[in-house]
Amino acid sequence: MLSSCAECHGSKKQESGLRLDSREAIVKGGDRGPAIVPGKPGKSLIIEAVRRSGDLEMPPNEKLRANQIAILEHWIEIGAPWPGNDGPSVDKRAESQRDHWAFQPVRQPAVPAVKDTAWAKSPIDAFVLARLEAQKLKPSPPADRRALIRRVTYDLTGLPPTPADVDSFATDSDPAAYTKLVDKLLASPQYGEHWARHWLDVARYADTKGYVYGREERFFVHSSAYRDWVVRAMNDDLPYDQFLVLQLAADQAKPDDQAALAAMGYLTLGRRFLGVTHDIIDDRIDVVGRGMLGLTIGCARCHDHKFDPIPTEDYYSLYGVFQNCTERLTQIAEPAVRDKKYEAFEVELTKRKQALANAMAKAREEVAAAVRQKTGDYLFAQSQIEKYPEETVSQILSKDDVNPIFVRRWQSYLLKQAKSDDPIFIGWRRFASLSADDFADRSRRVASELAKVNGAAVNRLVRDALQSPPASLKEVADKYGRLFADVERQWRELLAKKADSKALPDADAEALRQVLYGPQSPCEVPNEPIVSNEFYFDITNTESLWRLQGEVDRWLIQSPLAPAHAVALVDRAVIEEPRVFRRGNPAAKGNEVPRRFLKVISGDARKPFEHGSGRLELARAIASPENPLTARVWVNRVWMHHFAAGLVRTPSDFGMRSEPPTHPELLDWLASTFVRNHWSTKSLHRMIVLSATYQQQSDGPMDEAVRQQALTTDPENRLLWRMNARRLSFEEWRDTLLAVSSELDGAMGGRAAELFPAGGENRRRTLYGLVDRQFLTTAMRTFDFANPDLHAPQRSETTVPQQALFAMNHPFVAHRAQALIARMNKAPTTDAAARVRQLYLWVYQRPPTKAQEQAALAFLTAPQEKEAPVRPETLAWQYGFGALSEAEGRVDFHPLPHFNGKAWQGGPQWPDAALGWVQLTAEGGHAGNDLPHAAVRRWTAPRAGKISIKSTAAHQAPAGDGIRCWIVARRHGVLASATLLNRQQPFDVAALEVEKGDTVDFVVDFNANLNNDQFVWPIEISQPAESSGGGGAIVSWSSSRDFAGEAPQLLGAWEQYAQVLLLGNELMFVD
Amino acid sequence: MLDVGQRLPKPNRREFLTRSGMGLGALGLGGLLGGTAKGSQVHQTHFAGRAKRVIHFFLNGGPSHVDTFDPKPALLKYAGRPLPETLTTERKTGAAFPSPFTFKKCGQSGIEVSELFARTAEHIDDIAVIRSMVAQVPNHEPSLMLMNCGDSVLPRPSVGAWVLYGMGAENENLPGFIAMCPGGYPVKDAENWQSGFLPGSYQGTFIDPQFEQIDRLIENIHGPHATATTQRRQLDLLQSLNADHHAARHDDRLDARIQSFELAFRMQIEAAEAFDVAREPQYIRQLYGDGVHARQTLIARRLLERGVRYVQLWHGAGQPWDAHAGIEANHRGLAKQIDQPIAALLTDLKQRGMLEDTLVIWGGEFGRTPSVELNGNGLSALGRDHNPYGFSVWMAGGGVRGGTIHGATDDFGFKAIDRVTSVHDLHATILHLLGFDHERLTYRYAGRDFRLTDVSGRAIREILA
Repeated sequence: MLSSCAECHGSKKQESGLRLDSREAIVKGGDRGPAIVPGKPGKSLIIEAVRRSGDLEMPPNEKLRANQIAILEHWIEIGAPWPGNDGPSVDKRAESQRDHWAFQPVRQPAVPAVKDTAWAKSPIDAFVLARLEAQKLKPSPPADRRALIRRVTYDLTGLPPTPADVDSFATDSDPAAYTKLVDKLLASPQYGEHWARHWLDVARYADTKGYVYGREERFFVHSSAYRDWVVRAMNDDLPYDQFLVLQLAADQAKPDDQAALAAMGYLTLGRRFLGVTHDIIDDRIDVVGRGMLGLTIGCARCHDHKFDPIPTEDYYSLYGVFQNCTERLTQIAEPAVRDKKYEAFEVELTKRKQALANAMAKAREEVAAAVRQKTGDYLFAQSQIEKYPEETVSQILSKDDVNPIFVRRWQSYLLKQAKSDDPIFIGWRRFASLSADDFADRSRRVASELAKVNGAAVNRLVRDALQSPPASLKEVADKYGRLFADVERQWRELLAKKADSKALPDADAEALRQVLYGPQSPCEVPNEPIVSNEFYFDITNTESLWRLQGEVDRWLIQSPLAPAHAVALVDRAVIEEPRVFRRGNPAAKGNEVPRRFLKVISGDARKPFEHGSGRLELARAIASPENPLTARVWVNRVWMHHFAAGLVRTPSDFGMRSEPPTHPELLDWLASTFVRNHWSTKSLHRMIVLSATYQQQSDGPMDEAVRQQALTTDPENRLLWRMNARRLSFEEWRDTLLAVSSELDGAMGGRAAELFPAGGENRRRTLYGLVDRQFLTTAMRTFDFANPDLHAPQRSETTVPQQALFAMNHPFVAHRAQALIARMNKAPTTDAAARVRQLYLWVYQRPPTKAQEQAALAFLTAPQEKEAPVRPETLAWQYGFGALSEAEGRVDFHPLPHFNGKAWQGGPQWPDAALGWVQLTAEGGHAGNDLPHAAVRRWTAPRAGKISIKSTAAHQAPAGDGIRCWIVARRHGVLASATLLNRQQPFDVAALEVEKGDTVDFVVDFNANLNNDQFVWPIEISQPAESSGGGGAIVSWSSSRDFAGEAPQLLGAWEQYAQVLLLGNELMFVD
Repeated sequence: MLDVGQRLPKPNRREFLTRSGMGLGALGLGGLLGGTAKGSQVHQTHFAGRAKRVIHFFLNGGPSHVDTFDPKPALLKYAGRPLPETLTTERKTGAAFPSPFTFKKCGQSGIEVSELFARTAEHIDDIAVIRSMVAQVPNHEPSLMLMNCGDSVLPRPSVGAWVLYGMGAENENLPGFIAMCPGGYPVKDAENWQSGFLPGSYQGTFIDPQFEQIDRLIENIHGPHATATTQRRQLDLLQSLNADHHAARHDDRLDARIQSFELAFRMQIEAAEAFDVAREPQYIRQLYGDGVHARQTLIARRLLERGVRYVQLWHGAGQPWDAHAGIEANHRGLAKQIDQPIAALLTDLKQRGMLEDTLVIWGGEFGRTPSVELNGNGLSALGRDHNPYGFSVWMAGGGVRGGTIHGATDDFGFKAIDRVTSVHDLHATILHLLGFDHERLTYRYAGRDFRLTDVSGRAIREILA
């Protein structure tokens, strides 16, 4: 009943005076009397209505399912019991919502008195200790200095301390040593990098848009600018209120500061949802609601929030803010140097932008002209409005189609005109109100009434056109259509005569022309970027505009010289008031609602937003010291990252269903102090990490009995009788591996790059790794990286074998082990024990115990295995290029120099500057740019005997002139050859005698032209074992199965040892 | 508030569930707050399910129901003429387009199946055909999301992720949810097997079965830098270091990570073995036939046998079944690739006694129009457009009543008219067969308890054995 009826018969609305949200109200009924007779479903009006057996049919749109009706009947039959008596009544619910802790103003509670005044260093400690003492618990002893510096360094910078840092801190006798350390860490640029990443989880940051159609560039132009802005904001300790305001409305809060526009990536870096406006806006409301306010406003999209006092109207009030915004791409930085190269970049950029602008202008005009020609169709469409969705996302439209989005534009245009009973569409309105059944009968009367309407109230031309009574509404529409077509023709003629004409001479004709050309015309495509007006176009225009936009985007993304760009929101020129979508359905428009802030925060006296879309006003309402949520939510997040759990354990939901804070007064004290400190996040960190609470050791009290008591009283450590140990995040772990091997590239900012590029290395901080929402790397998923599709309140923490597989087998980890040993080898010492100690210091910042040293030495001196981990089959194959001398039956073979993880080729870039397109993969490859660069896959016989070859070569493109393939044996010359164009052909050799070391080459060149020369050519070679004496000899080779990259480098004993240290729990966990 | 759909009287259900811990799912995840899963998880079904694992043949692009499992002789009568009603789809369609394929009554049940799936049809008495499926919109992307994740648009966990969340993995040495697609990704890429707001470890693992090398099938499965013997020595040393570290600390997570290395070590051996179809006897390989589809189906069986919970077999990269033109050649060619492997799988599962607790699902993201598609010039290219208004999906094994037809489309196959079955209904049925009440398999996220079936859905009791 709630889902089907409450909207019209609930607390907000009582259609026909009926409410269905309490038993009393149901029994009392509405205008038609009681809705139910308890015990008698047969006599209950509601059953008649849902069964549709009488004249009343409810719910109006969709009949209830049979089982729903059965339940309803059963319920009435058993006397209509209502859970109200033991559940909260509506009033009680309102009361508990009103009293909910998170909606109360932030107080500034008095710091409680505690017994152990020596321990409590700060107000934070007093709040924590007071609760511990109340439970008869004691805090844990302070962590030792090594643990403390490791903890605070990770918490503030995401990196381990250096061995030197640890050493100097451990031995520093200055009582202010810890304070100095904290200040140094807060001032380091790595602080901003680390805390920016926490915020990027909140902001569901990604470098790509998620799934888009092929026509659209899938990379964002502006993601790195946003990320770098967040890093800077953190490092500059930008006051948190400004930090929020700029992310929502930098365009208005700091209109002169171009650089600040980058902040708005917070809104514009969400998924694109294939351009569906409602979902894009929903994503923005969610990231603002949960991210900044800790409110699940998204729940109110389809109905009033079930738990929190967020009516669905409030959702649409915010919806209206974003609905009135479009996007704007802006350059926000200047190049370092304006040299020739930059000028060339800029010339090309301007060219591409101009091409886009020209095409957009042309397409807008073309589409508008088509709509002007079809006014009759658009009018008639109004009578079948249900056939037209809000946006044309599900249909592919050609130029001649009636476009649903224009139908909807006409709808809202006509609605506006109706309010003023305009003189043009008055006729349409009157005829449209007739029912189809007796249209013909009543049309005469309407026509004659219309003829009598006061002169100025009806446009003369309209009156003339409708003089003879039309037979159907279609005819009315057609008459209007002809009228507008006529006006359009007159206007064209006038323009042809006098290009600078401003209006038609006839006032009535000019009034009609305004419908077609006026500023509010429903025929125009909004002058906006393709990202927000794509649905106005037919498929041909949409695709070509996106392609041109892609040309601009790609130029900015791929040019190293491109200065930073932002995508900001900007308010639309014409502001439309939002309407509620009933049950979240954009086709079911409900009441208009004002754009304004949430009732739960601003109260009943709140005022509608007044400026533009209201975005800046929204931002200020969020970033207000009066807002009870904003500061609490942020201090809780900061607390959470320091203590591994928030004071409120649902960091992005402070609503009715959240858990109350473990320390409510502390939360308020932190929030109020934070605001008083000018929203300074750094000072908040300082307060927290300098507290005794933070400095406790993580394993709890030394005394086992005391520990057990604490564990029994508070097993989850909610009262903080110890510090929480934590595992490193993915970023921290990867950065640590690079840091301890002394390889970390500390360069800040700039475009993102693959974290683990095939055939290369990325040694920058993980923050700068590419976040590709659509293809999030396995490594990131495996290590619980935040899902970039949605705001992420807190990361999952899973322990799965795939993490261990990465650690054991991924080259990234092995390379760090090699780097550690390479670094070691530069040091003068050769003493094994000293080297082990050095490794311990680098990796764990401590010396090994004696036993650990012994274990290391035992490991290092054990005999090493010689066996190769490669399958010997792979050794038979080589990958190269060269020229084939057909006459001599000889191939001039040169190995390809670069393996990118999947293919052998000329270099990391493909095509390579020197060697071009030549490439070999497991399955096939690509011919080279000329005959001397034919692709050559070489097999070398490991022993003498008879072999047979089965293979099929394929060229799978209809374009170009195809490829030529040969099999060439060293001893026998060309065995087979063919030219292939878009077809495949078997290449088999039944029997071939080879000596050990003989080669067989599989050669592909480009025929005559370089065009579509990729190929597939799997090859199987077999050599029966008996022909060579049997034993464990290999009997078959497969080009695809055996395909391998560079011969793997086995780690040496020291490197193996270093890798073990890198995998240890000691590195992965922070005490 | 009254909550239609619940047995009555039942006061204040939400509070009761929350108090009894079932609000967070009685599925354990006891420490689950704000969407995090820390530590070990207890997985348990709501009741004893008939199926323990799922294999889903996903014919991406949208196979035509009127050419496969939903015969429409009435189309012949209208051949070349407009149908009485043509619904709006993505593109324009014209006259009735009778199926170019012949249908034959099969098995004891006499259900008619087209020649395209003649070998699969030999198993029709084990199959329940749902002929009244409906999706929401006539486009691939939202329909893929709906069929795989239960919501057309918003990022939500996939069916496989939900199942893994509910049931856990049976074999820790293999990923619990595997999606195979020959040649690369289908449309919507990894979103089709996403974990959404569930922990990332429930996401499907993508495998391109065209590769044969194990390290191109599963990332990091092979250690290029050390032999197995060396790795064992490394791990022994590692565990001794970890033991030292653990001795001074009380933290279960340390144990969990220690265990994960041992699991990983075993996984290297087991995974390679699981994917190696060469270990199958000749007669089994012949049963499945040649080609990459036979290969991936046989791999799937080996995975299911080893305790992988959910396997999805996509037809191929992009959307191969999307026959806007030349449907006869398109469907004939594609069906030929999978008919034998599907039939072989059913035979093979049966002979191993696995069919009774393995749920086999066949279908696409929607069906196709019974009317012929028209191009921009109004000409036909003998293809069909997307049809979300009515299409077929079938299920077999795992507690499904074979030889059943559920629901029907209209005379032409344009829209479902009898026992209309939503994708939520389908998902509710899958979960039911696995032992879950779809309304109670929930996950608390962003302030509410989410479920696979959103706010509707009903298990189709009529097709349960």
